[in-house]
Amino acid sequence: METATSDEQMVERALTGDPEAFGEIVRRWERRIFALAFGMLGREEDARDATQETFLAAFRNLRGFRGEAKVSSWLHRIAVNQCITRQRRAKVRNETGLEDEAEKNAAVFALPSEISPARAAEGKQRSVAVRIAVGALPPDLRQVVVMKEFEELTFQEISEALQLPLSTVKSRLYTALRQLQMRLEKFGEPAR
Amino acid sequence: MSGPRQCEVDMTKNNERPICHRAEDLVAYLYNEASETDAQDFADHAEQCDACRSELAVFRQVHESILVWRNEALGTFSPVSEAADLARATSSVKLVEHERKLSALQALREFFSVSPLWLRGATAFAALLLCTLALVIISRSSGLPAQVSNNDEKVYTKTQFEAAVNQAVSEKLKESRVTPPASNVADNDVEAKPSKQQNMSRPELARNYSPQRSQRLRGFTRAEREQLAADLLLIPSRDEADLPLVFSEEPNQ
Repeated sequence: METATSDEQMVERALTGDPEAFGEIVRRWERRIFALAFGMLGREEDARDATQETFLAAFRNLRGFRGEAKVSSWLHRIAVNQCITRQRRAKVRNETGLEDEAEKNAAVFALPSEISPARAAEGKQRSVAVRIAVGALPPDLRQVVVMKEFEELTFQEISEALQLPLSTVKSRLYTALRQLQMRLEKFGEPAR
Repeated sequence: MSGPRQCEVDMTKNNERPICHRAEDLVAYLYNEASETDAQDFADHAEQCDACRSELAVFRQVHESILVWRNEALGTFSPVSEAADLARATSSVKLVEHERKLSALQALREFFSVSPLWLRGATAFAALLLCTLALVIISRSSGLPAQVSNNDEKVYTKTQFEAAVNQAVSEKLKESRVTPPASNVADNDVEAKPSKQQNMSRPELARNYSPQRSQRLRGFTRAEREQLAADLLLIPSRDEADLPLVFSEEPNQ
């Protein structure tokens, strides 16, 4: 794939001190990294911040990129870690001690205060219900769903990015879809 | 795969929904990542497996719902924000370059942190020695003009002052003996004195430079000048009582 090869060349150029090379990498991947971050975090501002942090972390660790994986996989791995870190921080801030894990995840997932799950269950705001359902997923399941649905990565690419066996990626996606389906049914979504 | 596989495990109930253990095949089929053979195999299986057929339908709806959300969400991601992101990323280049500039200091710190104790002590001693040397040099350079001025003061101690004044006045006396006591000459003498009078003490200078006194000197006779010079030089051989210090009239004028 031309982009993958070019990404590696861009990394090499960036390592030799060419600042434009890394800028090109940012241009190529920022949209997809943003999509990943948005899927993981559910809030545009958080997704933008996470995207920036991802590229900053990538630039700082540019010398750590050894070319064993694709640049895209490397970036996705960084982005996932950034998102998980942000979620942990947010969870600490919002922890109440009374909610169960899924509810806490849903709260972290930027549930708008003016939109209750019941209202979302009415079907008027389908995307809100999906967002809440995705946000309620455990992080290891959520990242697989987001990488598959938002970025349309292949199972192999997700496996490389997350450094997981292919079968684990598939089983996690299956589990995630089952949980989503149950939550959306609870909201009155999609098992229509 | 030659034919459709049967469910490896019988249907079970979990959350009131049966589970087929061909989950991985199901998701591969759902996302069109199964090979042609595997896809055909799973399609044949799904016709016979209610659980897989039901889940496949539900998962497709979930997938479509997520796609709707994705399209709505990512439609707000404008190129303007991309440019802003890029600008931030390029600014990070400068940040990292700055960090690289500081890395030399960090490397020095690391060097001292891993260096043995004797090397740290020797370095500290050398730094102390260098600072002391610098202080000595600075103090000497700042004290040099004071020493020069001290040398000047040594030249002009009280006795040396008096000796110099004696010499200067005697020279003037010699000159006055050779030249006639014209007023111009007297003026010149008085006006020429300051260059040599700089060596005199302050009271003497004040007396000599007093305009009244210079007017009084104007028109002195030679004898009066000698008396006056002796008075100025405090010559012990002359009797002060014999010297007329005040003149009521100007002799030559």
